[in-house]
Amino acid sequence: MMRRRIPWVRHAVLLVVSAIMLLPFYWVLKTAITNENIYTYPPRLLPLDPHPYNFVDVWYLIPFPRYLLNSIIVSVLAVVGNVVLNAMAAYALTQNFRAKKLVVLLLLSCMLIPFQATIIPAYLITARIGLLNSYLGLALPLLSTIICIFIYKSAFEAVPRSLVEAARMDGLSEWRIIAHVLLPLSRPAIATNVILAFIWSWNSFMWPLIVTRDADMQTLPLGLARFLSYMEDTTGALYAFVCLVLAPGILVFLMAQSAFIRGLTQGATKG
Amino acid sequence: MSRAPRWLLSRWVVVPGTLLLLVLGWNIHVAANATGVVRGRVVDSAGQPVAGATVLLFERSFVVNTEKQRTTSDPRGRFRFEGNASHAVQLQAEAPDGARSDRVTLRLLFRAQDADLPSPLVVEP
Repeated sequence: MMRRRIPWVRHAVLLVVSAIMLLPFYWVLKTAITNENIYTYPPRLLPLDPHPYNFVDVWYLIPFPRYLLNSIIVSVLAVVGNVVLNAMAAYALTQNFRAKKLVVLLLLSCMLIPFQATIIPAYLITARIGLLNSYLGLALPLLSTIICIFIYKSAFEAVPRSLVEAARMDGLSEWRIIAHVLLPLSRPAIATNVILAFIWSWNSFMWPLIVTRDADMQTLPLGLARFLSYMEDTTGALYAFVCLVLAPGILVFLMAQSAFIRGLTQGATKG
Repeated sequence: MSRAPRWLLSRWVVVPGTLLLLVLGWNIHVAANATGVVRGRVVDSAGQPVAGATVLLFERSFVVNTEKQRTTSDPRGRFRFEGNASHAVQLQAEAPDGARSDRVTLRLLFRAQDADLPSPLVVEP
């Protein structure tokens, strides 16, 4: 009898915790569809006179479609870069070569360096190759990320070695082994790469702030900062903007959620 | 009967495809209803139509409202603006005897949306 009750208790606790965690999102959405101030006291749980006009204001008062397009282009570049380049790097790390441990150690130690510390050299390199104020320049630091390389590496290592050897004996080149053998068997790792690359590039603020020159090249987080400077208050339009910035990331995450969790946990229980 | 290919039913195709269809449908609706016509009526405090009232249309930008057009109400108190290019306008009427209405804000779902003012502009001395 006791055992039967436990799942319900667990579910009830999880529901309460979920509600608490979702409350800030709900409050942002509620403020976005009303003209209430977020600090209104006493707070009202349900929206009063909901309307979509704050979203319309955001769309037209600033060049929102342009920012959206820029963010989409940069995120797509980052996602493609991560999926392709990380797979190549991870495949190399699954091979045996001299100083492999040193390379792995180097990559791991690079993860300890905060991005802010590398901004100046990254800027100088981007300027030297003439990519400032361009989409490729905006996506450049996010084209490959070390943590995603290791996610691929653990996924590739989970593929039986005999399968790769058989493919090699059948005459497949290394490129085709990655594309036709390893990647189709590593879908959770691909999904994890897609989500992480998308969210990191979508939310990126500091790098776009530094490399963009024209307002036309700015991405959504920069647009949000600009909008905030115009609308120095805590009313609907600002929160409508926040909703519009958040929505694509949440959508991509929800679409790849299960594969994402599998991708992160794959290899976690290996010895 | 042949079944749809598996990739076509993938959520990575279905969700963006649905969104694209929604956007396309919305844009068709916008294109069909964006001639910028704004209509309304001017009445006095007794609810009688006011003829010859000057009606002003202000266009909203970030922090200011700029007068863009003006017109005159007909004998039945009706007025009509054409070519409104904004998504948020304010309307105000001034009767020939000097009585004025409050500025009424009309928010639209898209730029140049055809719209009728839900309640008339009431001029009061």
